[in-house]
Amino acid sequence: MVSAKTVINAPTGLHARPAGELVALVKSFEGSAVKLATAVRSVNAASMLSLLSLGLKAGTEVEITVEGGREAEALAAVKAFIDNLAD
Amino acid sequence: MVVRGPAYLWNCHPEACPELAEGRERRISFSEAYDQVRRELAAAAVPEPKAAEVFAAHLEILEDPMLKEAVEAELEAGKPELEALDAACSGICAMFSEIDDEYLRARVDDVRDVFGRLRNAMLGISRRHEVPAGSVIVAEELLPSDTAEIDFSSIAGILCRRGSSTSHVCIIAHSKGVPIQLGVDISGISDGDLVSVDDPMVGPSSIESKVRAAGRKLYVNAGSVDDIRAAIAAGADGIGLFRTEFLFLGRSAMPTREEQKALYKEALEACAGKPLTVRLLDVGGDKALPYLPMPREDNPFLGLRGVRFLLAHTELLEAQLGAIADAASAVPGSQVRVMIPMVCTVEEIRRVREMLNQPLELGIMVETPAAVLDAASLAAECDFFSIGTNDLTQYVMAADRGNSAVAGLYDPMSPAVRRAVELAVSAAHASGIPVGICGELASDPRATDFLLSAGLDSLSLSRL
Repeated sequence: MVSAKTVINAPTGLHARPAGELVALVKSFEGSAVKLATAVRSVNAASMLSLLSLGLKAGTEVEITVEGGREAEALAAVKAFIDNLAD
Repeated sequence: MVVRGPAYLWNCHPEACPELAEGRERRISFSEAYDQVRRELAAAAVPEPKAAEVFAAHLEILEDPMLKEAVEAELEAGKPELEALDAACSGICAMFSEIDDEYLRARVDDVRDVFGRLRNAMLGISRRHEVPAGSVIVAEELLPSDTAEIDFSSIAGILCRRGSSTSHVCIIAHSKGVPIQLGVDISGISDGDLVSVDDPMVGPSSIESKVRAAGRKLYVNAGSVDDIRAAIAAGADGIGLFRTEFLFLGRSAMPTREEQKALYKEALEACAGKPLTVRLLDVGGDKALPYLPMPREDNPFLGLRGVRFLLAHTELLEAQLGAIADAASAVPGSQVRVMIPMVCTVEEIRRVREMLNQPLELGIMVETPAAVLDAASLAAECDFFSIGTNDLTQYVMAADRGNSAVAGLYDPMSPAVRRAVELAVSAAHASGIPVGICGELASDPRATDFLLSAGLDSLSLSRL
């Protein structure tokens, strides 16, 4: 299992459209279980409802963990996606 | 605008109208209903792109692991099927309702809609609506799948007791010019009663009709090819801002010229011969690309962004300009306009034009104080102006729009920003080039009179 921490920078947080894109990205890494955790709870990043339910806003710190499959690659891709959220 | 018409009571959802479901027996199990609804949603053929998006989003919610897990957890806890479904629905909705974001809270509608559909399937309820032309639809609430069933071209208006201005029904009604009034006490209205709908967002006082009456062009901002299709279908004169960032973000390598060409070609086809204003990639230190790492900047809004970034990465600029030119020559009769972001100097326009090396229309976003103050020189070098009031306000007022401590200063209608708009318009007209606006101010009905009197040739709205 690998993990990394990052912060949501997009002023509008993680809303529906980028959440959908993130789900698609996560699903493209077959065999990897990707989770996103805040200080409150941890959710399955392949579930759009779970992601949206975190209510991620600008400035929230999240921890990404990846288990199985191409772990390092998946972690880097998810982190880059979150770091580059623009709107 | 106020319209009147006979009421048509629309109450199909047990979620909106519990008495419909009362006393009915369950016909099929949750898992049978799940498969049935999945087939229905996947097969839903809807001509309207926005309604098709609704069904695609609902299919995604249905297939979301969280939904099934939540229902199964309730079933395992020993609840009867319908109760388990309702408990799972309330659980998920409660989680969303706590979120401090109006847009996300409105998505609760989609979740309830999907659960309502499952519930109807389990109860064997299906009801088709036949709404007489000219009716006013009266409903407790219209959920997204109801909205997809409504023929907006034949109704006079809509009255709802519940719903928000960001709900599907409201967005689509406005995009079709149909008045809708929310928060109305509908008790006591019967089928056929003459009712009236009062909606200031629709009618002669709306932005759209004012722009049309003044003989100016009505454009729409787009972030995807679907947005373009929806805008053209809704009657837009063209696309005033096509954002291209989505092509570059969320991927591990730069998109090739070929990949970009395919997308621009699709966009031009969707535009059906109307002007498509393609904004060149607009990124900077605050939104960097994974494959082009940028040094950290203390002040990214005054740093390497917009055209400055493009001119520092000419391989990227060359590929994008080449792809746009390729797409334009591949679609006969298309009208492409290339727009440069964050321009401050004449030199920046010259360098981009040199690299474009094609007789395409080339214009600039006017969004820096420098572009306003030297607008006359810039206008002499390009084919159009488009005023980006979001950044322009931020730079003119020296106020970060995200900083609540100075939010009062971030006002696009403040005298200084209005003066900047007027200066840009007069410089453009003195050079004989058209000038439009593509910032959020264009979509603010309180600004329309000012923008038209300032002489803007086009307003590009966030949607029609």
